[in-house]
Amino acid sequence: MTDSIRSFIMGKIRRAGRGASVAQVSSELQSLGPAPTPSLISESTSESFIANVLINKGTVECVSDRSAAVKAVADYLYQRFRSHKLVAGNDSRLAAMPWREAGVLPRFGSAENGDAAGLSYARLGIAETGSIVTWTGKSCPATNNLLVEDHIVIVELADLVTTMELAWERIHQHIGKQDKPRGINFISGPSSTADIEGKLVMGAHGPRSWHVILIGEVSGSSLEKARQLAGQ
Amino acid sequence: MKLETSAFLDKAKEALMETDKVQIRDFIGLFAPLARNAALGNFDKFDQLRDHVKQVKQHTLDNLDCYLGQFEQEAIENGNRVHFARDGDAMNEIVLSICQEHRAQRVIKGKSMVTEETALNDHLIRAGLEVTETDLGEYIIQQAGETPSHIVGPALHKTMPEIRQLFLDKHDLGPRELEGAPDLVAEARTMLRDHFLNADVGIVGSNALIAENGYSMLVTNEGNGDLCANLPPVLIICTTLDRVVPRAVDATAMLRMLVPSATSQAITCYTSFYSGPRRSNDPDGPMETHIVLLDNKRSDILDSNYREMLQCIRCGACLNHCPVYIGVGGHAYGSVYPGPMGSVLTPLLTSLAESHALPNACTTCGRCAEVCPANIPLPDLLRDLRRDESLQKLSPASWRFGTKFHAWLATHPWLYRTLTGLGIPLLHRLGRKRGAFRSLPMASAWTSHRDFPTPQGRTFFQQYKTADKQLDDR
Repeated sequence: MTDSIRSFIMGKIRRAGRGASVAQVSSELQSLGPAPTPSLISESTSESFIANVLINKGTVECVSDRSAAVKAVADYLYQRFRSHKLVAGNDSRLAAMPWREAGVLPRFGSAENGDAAGLSYARLGIAETGSIVTWTGKSCPATNNLLVEDHIVIVELADLVTTMELAWERIHQHIGKQDKPRGINFISGPSSTADIEGKLVMGAHGPRSWHVILIGEVSGSSLEKARQLAGQ
Repeated sequence: MKLETSAFLDKAKEALMETDKVQIRDFIGLFAPLARNAALGNFDKFDQLRDHVKQVKQHTLDNLDCYLGQFEQEAIENGNRVHFARDGDAMNEIVLSICQEHRAQRVIKGKSMVTEETALNDHLIRAGLEVTETDLGEYIIQQAGETPSHIVGPALHKTMPEIRQLFLDKHDLGPRELEGAPDLVAEARTMLRDHFLNADVGIVGSNALIAENGYSMLVTNEGNGDLCANLPPVLIICTTLDRVVPRAVDATAMLRMLVPSATSQAITCYTSFYSGPRRSNDPDGPMETHIVLLDNKRSDILDSNYREMLQCIRCGACLNHCPVYIGVGGHAYGSVYPGPMGSVLTPLLTSLAESHALPNACTTCGRCAEVCPANIPLPDLLRDLRRDESLQKLSPASWRFGTKFHAWLATHPWLYRTLTGLGIPLLHRLGRKRGAFRSLPMASAWTSHRDFPTPQGRTFFQQYKTADKQLDDR
């Protein structure tokens, strides 16, 4: 029954089509060229990334190395929750960080309802949109991005790309045909809604706050310029 | 949703009398275009990108058999079960049977216009399931027992006091203040959290189906769609076969047009790509995933002169820019899809006989085509539908006679000029004193609402001829 419906619908679609060969279709698609990409908000990739994170209602902190990132996480948690509790994915990069130095006690695993803060180590950051990219798996359970009150994300300067096209290029390099992650997530801000009279409210169902910690050499003047670009 | 398109004119009249709703709509009509312009203002290559996305979409539709087949194959390899549904009833039955197979009781849903089209909720609820909409706008209208008034903001017609009263009535939480949007959002968040955690089945839609890798793109701001896609043990993606795009980069290129046009952002908070059920080492995710591909006459549209309508990416920009939609609101259309895109799509998904009132809900101002990120010539398609309406003798005989007579007259310029050359000076002489007419024979549709200004004395052509002669004499 299902097969016959499939054949019926596919038959109709085939009759409406041109009957081109796969090679023909593929070469036609190639001939359309790449999509135009928007100019970045700044000539600098990191400045653009930071400015767009801020425009997306995120907060940003720039640190020079992983030790400083740990301290930044500790300070953030203390400031927000007067606590050092945190849920983090089973990511080898997160496991290798010197948490004890800052007195942070991450629980490695999946966030549960009621967990205040979740930490993800982003695979990529996209300057064009101010997004970070994660994918599901042990290293980044989906609940750590979605169920917590505050979502903290670490991203490395070297993992910033300018456009979504370049993000896909990097994603395709990482994932093999046999090893596709279940979910690839571009996250660009805290959960929000404007469904009540168009008024923007944070924390619709997911995190109320989104904090990005960028590891790498970003000068104070770059950070300042990014804030200006974001109108802050 | 029950189709009530034939009552468009009556419902439009009623809508114009609701002053509080008129205010909301005026605000949308003013604010949404400004916000869209601001969002696209920094984007210097809008036209080039629009052309590119259109070309890719047309190429995809021209070769849909190839790309749909490729998507299906990839999706199956990713571990999904792919179903084809010929119409809405078939989709509803497929979804119900999956739920029953798993003895599901609680179903949570992300925002999906396709399931509005098929009235899936009613079908599942009739079979004894508990269905909860989780997008805040959809949740509000579900609680209110209403239908969406806008394809992006389904509850934009509700005022804050109405939503407050609704929550006070529906949520058994005792006396509380509940003042302002943040309070209302926080209460909905608390109420819905349990549903997310305890659901047996999650249902979401799809913004794009990527042929090259079998992923499905889900675009939300609230994150509710992602919770639906990640927490319950079974995930069902309800979508249509025209959502297919060739590559991941095509999905994100389209996203660049979709989001500013829909919500005036550069990107939504959550843009996710789902491939299938949880992998062997995954700590979470559904154990089983299904993709239901609805046709519901889309294969007929593909084979018709209205194929361009399948390029629509459901951004809602045409609604926000349409003077008719802003005037009368989404409910007047009596169909799931309102506004210009709905006035084209609804007759194609139902029948022109049932829905021919909608293509007439157009002033041909052309704003919808101007802002459409998919570059769909909506006014042309609406005109073509009106032509079909006339050919099928669905419009009143007097309209058809009037149009035919006008067409005949317009193709006889000498007679046209003679008759207007007599009529216009006559009207001028009759109305010269007052400057306007309160009533005119055969023009009551105009004069019952406003005065008809007295013509200046001579027709355009008479004035043109005089001016031309004067030029020649010089």
